[in-house]
Amino acid sequence: MSWFRIFIDYFAIFVLPLMIVGLPLYGLIRGVKVYEEFVEGAKEGFRVAVMIIPYLVAILFAIGMFRASGAMDFLVETLEPVLGALGFPPEMLPMAIIRPLTGSGSAAVVAEMVAVFGEDSILVKMAGVMFGSTETTFYIIAVYFGAVNVKKTRHAVPAGLTADIFAMIFAVYLVQWLFGSA
Amino acid sequence: MLNYIWAGLLIAALAFAIVSDLRDAASDRFRNDASLPILLEYPEGYQDEARRVPVHIRIDAETYRAFYGVAAAPDSVYAGHVIRTQAGVRLFFAGDASLPEPLPRIREFSGGDALQGTLDQENLSSTPAGAPVTATAVRFEPVRFPHLQDIAGAAFDFANTAVQIAIGLIGVLALFLGLLKIAEAGGLIRQMSRIVEPLLRPFFPGIPKGHPAFAMIVLNLSANVLGLGNAATPLGIKAMEELQTLNPVKDTATNPMVMLLAMNTASVQLVPPALLVAVIGLQVNELIFPIIAVTGASLIVAVGTAWFLERVPLWKRSDPNADPGDSAETGEATQ
Repeated sequence: MSWFRIFIDYFAIFVLPLMIVGLPLYGLIRGVKVYEEFVEGAKEGFRVAVMIIPYLVAILFAIGMFRASGAMDFLVETLEPVLGALGFPPEMLPMAIIRPLTGSGSAAVVAEMVAVFGEDSILVKMAGVMFGSTETTFYIIAVYFGAVNVKKTRHAVPAGLTADIFAMIFAVYLVQWLFGSA
Repeated sequence: MLNYIWAGLLIAALAFAIVSDLRDAASDRFRNDASLPILLEYPEGYQDEARRVPVHIRIDAETYRAFYGVAAAPDSVYAGHVIRTQAGVRLFFAGDASLPEPLPRIREFSGGDALQGTLDQENLSSTPAGAPVTATAVRFEPVRFPHLQDIAGAAFDFANTAVQIAIGLIGVLALFLGLLKIAEAGGLIRQMSRIVEPLLRPFFPGIPKGHPAFAMIVLNLSANVLGLGNAATPLGIKAMEELQTLNPVKDTATNPMVMLLAMNTASVQLVPPALLVAVIGLQVNELIFPIIAVTGASLIVAVGTAWFLERVPLWKRSDPNADPGDSAETGEATQ
């Protein structure tokens, strides 16, 4: 595993500089007017970013209000007994709820769990695997669909959330199986 | 679907905020209008004419716990000052004081950076420096419906955050969209599309042969796998733009778009995200294998779910590329 990890780590370090220098170099060899083409493409950056704004505002302010309302505490209180019976540690619930909603918010949850349970604890491992294996689905929907002005997202939310829910459940049981039970 | 989830978040926010506030009010959590007994000490003495006088505030731990019904205990002494006003003597805690629950919450609502309240005595008598402590009591600003005020505040804050995030993306977007334009002009994207097409064809059956979307999708997914969040977003956006060129109904997501999105939310991660490394440190090494396993499995689930859902009648009807016979309903059926 370790040689693989080292290889991947170095690859991830090298790929960006190589891409950023390599593409203009490649263009030069192919006779492309690299500076002119770059500027032409980069112009789009501003337009796309501005286009995303309404979508991102809509999603983020709703999520922000939901978090500020104290709803999380209620959900945890209600769902705790149900989840406990299923062998899903109730401590993981805030993480599971907040993860698809915000990236920085869920990182804060992990940080808090490190402070409360210690970084060696199995709960932190579960939270870490959950964080690493799922994405901020709502943010991605806002940014990716916002950039092309798609408002009717059809089955994107159910598909994304199904994958998230599956990943979180699988993360809990896999970590329990690998590192012993909670 | 997103319409209902979005409205649901807002309605839930209001409902939960009201319930939380009623619960706090019923248990009198903030002891509005009651006075907390404290002891005051004047390190520099107290004169009648002085307007602003520094004080040391002492709160007895037992009294405090009984007063608020909490387990937290205050520090032995707090710095602060008193100011004489028309309305009485105001007590201010130092702005950086680390206060026990629920005082930080009361501080948030006392309309300033510092916790403040009104002393029970209307006048303090002159006291020389180093004199024994004065017993008094302080009444903090009442906290009424804090969660309701919070959700309104959060709406404004997060609207701002959203704009900051979007503005923050401009630079990276410009950089990558510029680089990709060079790659396009040199013919690299078309070449790449031809190479990866057989691999992606089963997941994106609707994309015509040799379309540049294939290359963008592969670049986007590879950046995700390597944990290059900064590069993945512009590449994903570019992939979406390519897919949008094939879309007959511009405001509705096509099947390939949703598939790409599902693959993004469940992307295999060979390198853990930098944010996670920052939060849990070296422990992350142990988690690499489980993360790869979980993301691998969830990628299969994501692709399977997207594949299945696009065949469900509700979403099959709203497909922008549906048969012309069905397309009359598209407008109403989509959500």
